[in-house]
Amino acid sequence: MDVFAQAIGFVLQWQNLAALAGGTFFGIIIGVLPGLGPSAGMALSIPLVMSWHPATALIFMGALYKSSNYGGSLTAILVNTPGDASNAATILDGYPMCQRGMGGVALGISATAALVGGTIGMICLIFAAPFFADFALEFGPAEYFLTAVLALSLIAAVVQGATIKGLIAAGLGLLLSTVGFDVIAGHLRYTFDWAPVEDGIPLIQALVGLFAVTQALVLAESAASISRLAELSGSFWEGARTYFRHPAIMVRSSLLGLFVGILPGVGQSSAGLLAWADAKRVSKHPETFGKGEPVGVLASETATNACMPGDLVCTIALGLPGSVGAAVFLGVMIIFGVVPGPLVFTNKPEVIYSLFAALFLTSFLIFIIGMTLARRLAVVTLLPNNLIVPLILVVSLLGSFAIRNEMYDVIISLAFGALGYVMLKGGFTPIPLLLGLVLGEMVETNYHRALLISGGSYSIFYASVICKVLVLLTILSLVGPYLGPFWKTLTQGEK
Amino acid sequence: MLKTLKCCAAAAAIVLVTMPVYGADYPNKPVRLIVTAAPGGGEDTEARAIAPFVEKHLKAQVVIENQPGAGGKIAFEKFQNTAPDGYSLITYTFPKSIIIEHQGKTGYKTKDFTPIFAWSRSSQILIVNGETWKTFGEFLKAAKEKPLSGGLSGRGSTTHLMGLIALDELGISKVNWVPYEGSAGSVAALAGKHLDFTMSLATSAVPLIQAGKLRPLLLFSDKRDPYISDVPIPKELGYDMKFIPTLRGVEAPPKTPADIVKILEDAFRKASQEQGFIDIAAKRKMVLEPVGSKEYAKAVADSYPFIAKFQAMLTK
Repeated sequence: MDVFAQAIGFVLQWQNLAALAGGTFFGIIIGVLPGLGPSAGMALSIPLVMSWHPATALIFMGALYKSSNYGGSLTAILVNTPGDASNAATILDGYPMCQRGMGGVALGISATAALVGGTIGMICLIFAAPFFADFALEFGPAEYFLTAVLALSLIAAVVQGATIKGLIAAGLGLLLSTVGFDVIAGHLRYTFDWAPVEDGIPLIQALVGLFAVTQALVLAESAASISRLAELSGSFWEGARTYFRHPAIMVRSSLLGLFVGILPGVGQSSAGLLAWADAKRVSKHPETFGKGEPVGVLASETATNACMPGDLVCTIALGLPGSVGAAVFLGVMIIFGVVPGPLVFTNKPEVIYSLFAALFLTSFLIFIIGMTLARRLAVVTLLPNNLIVPLILVVSLLGSFAIRNEMYDVIISLAFGALGYVMLKGGFTPIPLLLGLVLGEMVETNYHRALLISGGSYSIFYASVICKVLVLLTILSLVGPYLGPFWKTLTQGEK
Repeated sequence: MLKTLKCCAAAAAIVLVTMPVYGADYPNKPVRLIVTAAPGGGEDTEARAIAPFVEKHLKAQVVIENQPGAGGKIAFEKFQNTAPDGYSLITYTFPKSIIIEHQGKTGYKTKDFTPIFAWSRSSQILIVNGETWKTFGEFLKAAKEKPLSGGLSGRGSTTHLMGLIALDELGISKVNWVPYEGSAGSVAALAGKHLDFTMSLATSAVPLIQAGKLRPLLLFSDKRDPYISDVPIPKELGYDMKFIPTLRGVEAPPKTPADIVKILEDAFRKASQEQGFIDIAAKRKMVLEPVGSKEYAKAVADSYPFIAKFQAMLTK
């Protein structure tokens, strides 16, 4: 702990505080711009920080990486455009809250979530990174497969009320996840010789279409503004207070986000979605989710913010990055002579702990920035539609274009925009589709990998203790909703 | 006699000086360096590391342009028809472009591209979990007894090719290959003992090797890697194995004039010898090895029949 006290002292030096603040600001801006995620932001900043002290440079990069997610939540809430794939679930309730004039409250929740989720995640990273890294290694293909199946079982909760339409959307999502290069067999599937989808349906482009483009179409139908009341109600502090009224969801979502982050390859994009679906499942009034339920924003943002430190666990403790962002961060660390791996805690403790201390402080800085900006930014939702619609379209499609500098990504976004519009008019929700799209490949490839390892024997799916626990949880998740009423009738019958 | 020689030399000098050289004023505008992957990966980082030093010697700005998508195929297809004026260059991990050609229809041919210079070479290693086999001999005995599961960084990747070649040479009849997307997944699965061994680029596993969690048993190369110098190579164990050279370098579009190639090759060669670049390379544990234009072209020509030989196995 002595090292940690020293690290905090180091971070509080003026140049490091400046790097921290600079990284946080830049990260928020990168996050706000759709299409530019933390990985691009970090890669573009490398020349800037090249001549700095390694620890200072890593503080800048860490702050950038951490705060970009918050930037993404701003556009997700205010204009229904996810800054990055990780903010997809924030849209679901954040944007409807804006429509009710509660944009400031939603922004308060997301800033508080950055503080709380980030802090819980960081505490786990600081105290138990090697332990969590060893835990992550216990997960082989069979365990990954079962984790993905457990995650898919949440679709059952999401589609409650419109089961058939929900399952159709989930099926479509799973089907779309098969497009592209089949990792196991080495074949291209359903690409029709169109190279842009050979890597699979690009997630951010699809998200921009499903949410931003669809929303622009919907807004263009009327001449009002996003906030239907044409006025703002509720403040940032109301959001912060609302947040702490739900401690159970807060802890649940933090742990879920952390868990998803720790497993390499599951990724931030699913953390928010899974936490949202989980919160809906345990809620007493699930029907309010997706219609501006503050708890939805709370769950999604808490999980994504706790996910990022989780993602760093394997990156730092094993040298194995779990996501694209983490891979870039790993590259940056190596350039500055800090080689991540099990030995980094003994070889370079001062750099690692100053990075941790900086990430810890970033959470607070995000909260303060959010507090000052929320009210001013929420005014966007009062702009008339004929101003905001072109703005949403230009910014989001530019974001799509910027990912690969190619026009076809704009075409993909527009196609998903049309799909989203049709789905919306037909009463379908895009969430099951997203869950299918995000989890489909994880289910399929790990199923095949497990069977390749076991030589075709299905016993691998219940061999380990983790497998057994996961199978049990999946069964509970599917049967649970029916068990409650059954139990009730049983006990009432006895009376 | 001497006089005639002098006259000839003078005449030659005049011709050389006054001859309208195609690339005489080259370069007079920024040069585009296309990276076939998203920002942040190994290819991108190396391109961004060498670019400032190339700028210094080329006396022109070098602009990095990322063109990710379909493992680089999209970038390669566009590059095939790019004007050979020396203002567009491409960098990628050779031979991934040739492997893509063998996996399906492509609108480009790697052998058409004009090789300029490659600065680094990397080799594959065979790694096992630190708690299992201690030596290559023990591993080989186990592999011949029953099929082991082996991790790959992708079906049809260079690790896959090298694995197939090694199997052939070592006399192992069957391996259950388990493809991953990139090396992080296959290395993690090995560290968790879900796999018996993994084929990977040496650089991907160094931290876990240094910590003793993983053990490298064989380096597929002609000479030992200075960063893991205690790992034996096949030659020392009595095997005569061919290797796929994995090069990081730069190429120009098809039919680029020789004088432009010369200017670029010199600039890249000098850049790769700059101390600043050597320092970055050492941190990234890159094995620097200059490969000139002609040598690079030979590596491309040699790789075609070699990769074609294993094509059937790759697409199976």
